[in-house]
Amino acid sequence: MLDLLARLGRIGIGSLEQLGRGHLLLLYMVVGVGELFTHPRLLLKQLYSVGVLSLLIVAISGTFVGMVLGLQGYYILSQFGAEQTLGVMVSASLVRELGPVVTALLFAGRAGSALTAEIGLMKATEQLSGLEMMAVNPVKRILTPRFFAGHISMPMLAAMFSALGVMGGYFVGVGLLGVDDGAFWSQMQAKIDFDDDVLNGVIKSLVFGLVCTWIALFQGYSAVPTAEGVSRATTRTVVHSSLAVLGLDFILTALMFGE
Amino acid sequence: MRDDKPLVTIRGLRFLRGDRAIFDGVDLDIPRGKVTAIMGPSGTGKTTLLKLIGGQLRPAAGTINVDGELVHQLATRDLYRLRMRMGMLFQSGALLTDISVFENVAYPLREHTGLPESLIRKLVLLKLEAVGLRGARDLMPHELSGGMARRVALARAIALDPMMIMYDEPFTGQDPISMGVLVKLIRSLNDASRLTSIIVSHDVREAAQIADYIYLISNGIVIEHGVPEAMLSSASEWTSQFMNGLADGPVPFHYPAPALEQDLMGAAG
Amino acid sequence: MNNNRMLEITVGAFMALGLLALFFLSMQVSNLSAASSGGGYNVEARFDNIGSLKVRSPVTMAGVRVGRVSAIDFDRKTFEAVVTLHIDSDYEQAIPDDTFAKIFTAGLLGEQYIGLDAGGSPNFLAEGGKISLTQSALVLEEIIGQFLFSKAEEGGKVE
Repeated sequence: MLDLLARLGRIGIGSLEQLGRGHLLLLYMVVGVGELFTHPRLLLKQLYSVGVLSLLIVAISGTFVGMVLGLQGYYILSQFGAEQTLGVMVSASLVRELGPVVTALLFAGRAGSALTAEIGLMKATEQLSGLEMMAVNPVKRILTPRFFAGHISMPMLAAMFSALGVMGGYFVGVGLLGVDDGAFWSQMQAKIDFDDDVLNGVIKSLVFGLVCTWIALFQGYSAVPTAEGVSRATTRTVVHSSLAVLGLDFILTALMFGE
Repeated sequence: MRDDKPLVTIRGLRFLRGDRAIFDGVDLDIPRGKVTAIMGPSGTGKTTLLKLIGGQLRPAAGTINVDGELVHQLATRDLYRLRMRMGMLFQSGALLTDISVFENVAYPLREHTGLPESLIRKLVLLKLEAVGLRGARDLMPHELSGGMARRVALARAIALDPMMIMYDEPFTGQDPISMGVLVKLIRSLNDASRLTSIIVSHDVREAAQIADYIYLISNGIVIEHGVPEAMLSSASEWTSQFMNGLADGPVPFHYPAPALEQDLMGAAG
Repeated sequence: MNNNRMLEITVGAFMALGLLALFFLSMQVSNLSAASSGGGYNVEARFDNIGSLKVRSPVTMAGVRVGRVSAIDFDRKTFEAVVTLHIDSDYEQAIPDDTFAKIFTAGLLGEQYIGLDAGGSPNFLAEGGKISLTQSALVLEEIIGQFLFSKAEEGGKVE
């Protein structure tokens, strides 16, 4: 009985310690922001590997998600004779929810896992220690550019996802199923609000960008420096990021759209 | 006369990993301008010792004094300034894998000196020449053999002309030729630029060949220290077992276990 | 160095695409161009019953959206609903002070909105103005109740 209690306590202390280390790392990364101005190249390189390389998967997924929404939405809405509002349905679900959330999930799988593996391997091959012994702060030099690259890329990717999704929905709804072109756009414009929908979506993806990159970098940085340790850390990144995104999405939605 | 004082002085060093004491009261002196080897069986925390000297880890107790500064009490800024005067050669080389050999050697120079590009180029080529790899400057780290990677890392470690270099297992996993090259390099670098070298190793023959002084560490304490000749012919059973590589001795061949008969009987019952 | 240039170009293109998508979302999908949410003014209207009117419901005039409901409160003394209407800045000096405010329903089951019928006064509403002529929301249950009641009365007479 007491053993069980002690084990519970140990787990609690352990996770608190993890949490503390994670926040310290976040603090150090944010404090290192000056590094980006002295070495803009570093950020550029990371924007490429975090953002540009995730572009393809995000663009394709966005288009297809939009097309599926167009199809599904059409069949449901046409039962109420409300096909005209297809544009509203597609764009509202994309801009508010699917854009930020699905992009974040894809990001965690594509860029997050890559970041963790990269940092973990740099740790395993002593490159981080090596930098430290060269009197270079690895958090500032290696982690900070990646962190901000993720933070910047995520809203961009989410916006592209939503925009392409709307196009996909338009293609299916107007192009294939014969919804009226004018109604599609005008209903959409009448119902979608910039502050409530677009801006909130951007805020969501900013938060997700922070959380996903943070988790990925922290997992990589605190990975056990062996092949097994890095692979575990990579798995953890994807699992933790996905859960965090879905959980946070609920909280953010409740805060933003609840009254 | 300042040269008489040891560069690194360690007193009463205690370091814990979890509940296990890696070091428990280690006293060490690293003399200036000499090659000092720190030897011991695997798992005695030799690498940990280098990290402690480099300030990457902090001791639970005791003092580590490097060139008059207490490493473990330095503020980050001062620690980094001190590290600029230390070079460290990691076991794997620890080259940055996404930039070329040239850029790797240039890295600390670009980082810590505001030298113009033309001068950096000259310095890098000189350092690469010193390790015999000037021709390999455009290769990427993954194109190098293990021995070459270590030599590039060595060129990088001496890029800022440090006062001392720490070698972490420099001979492990090297073929005899690159081993010979490294032995020669370490010795000649030490003598040519009046460096202080610390070698952590368990390769007795190579270490004994180039070291001026040897510390033998096991179970968290210094077992014995002295010049190589004295160590090789030491009267201590433990030292002679390690230095001559005998299978059984004070360090038992068997991992602690209950008596064999008892274990076998237990399995049957 | 060609490599560096490629990197710069691709990252630049990435950023441009991202901004373009954001621009598309704000201009084409939502209606940022029309809804200049910066300026505008608030007027107040009191209703006996607002039905299912909500904050952010549209306010229209002759079918044109001129603003939105920005707050709904309850007056403890008069037991009325106090609705604050935010009128966009484009419609300053456009709503006479004897305007009639009604709560309509879009379609049979659609959401409710406020329709303004312009009066004939030469004075216009400004910040803090009040609309005194209002008509409450039609509540379906009440209408049905009234209908049944009158039918019952009719039936009673015949008998």
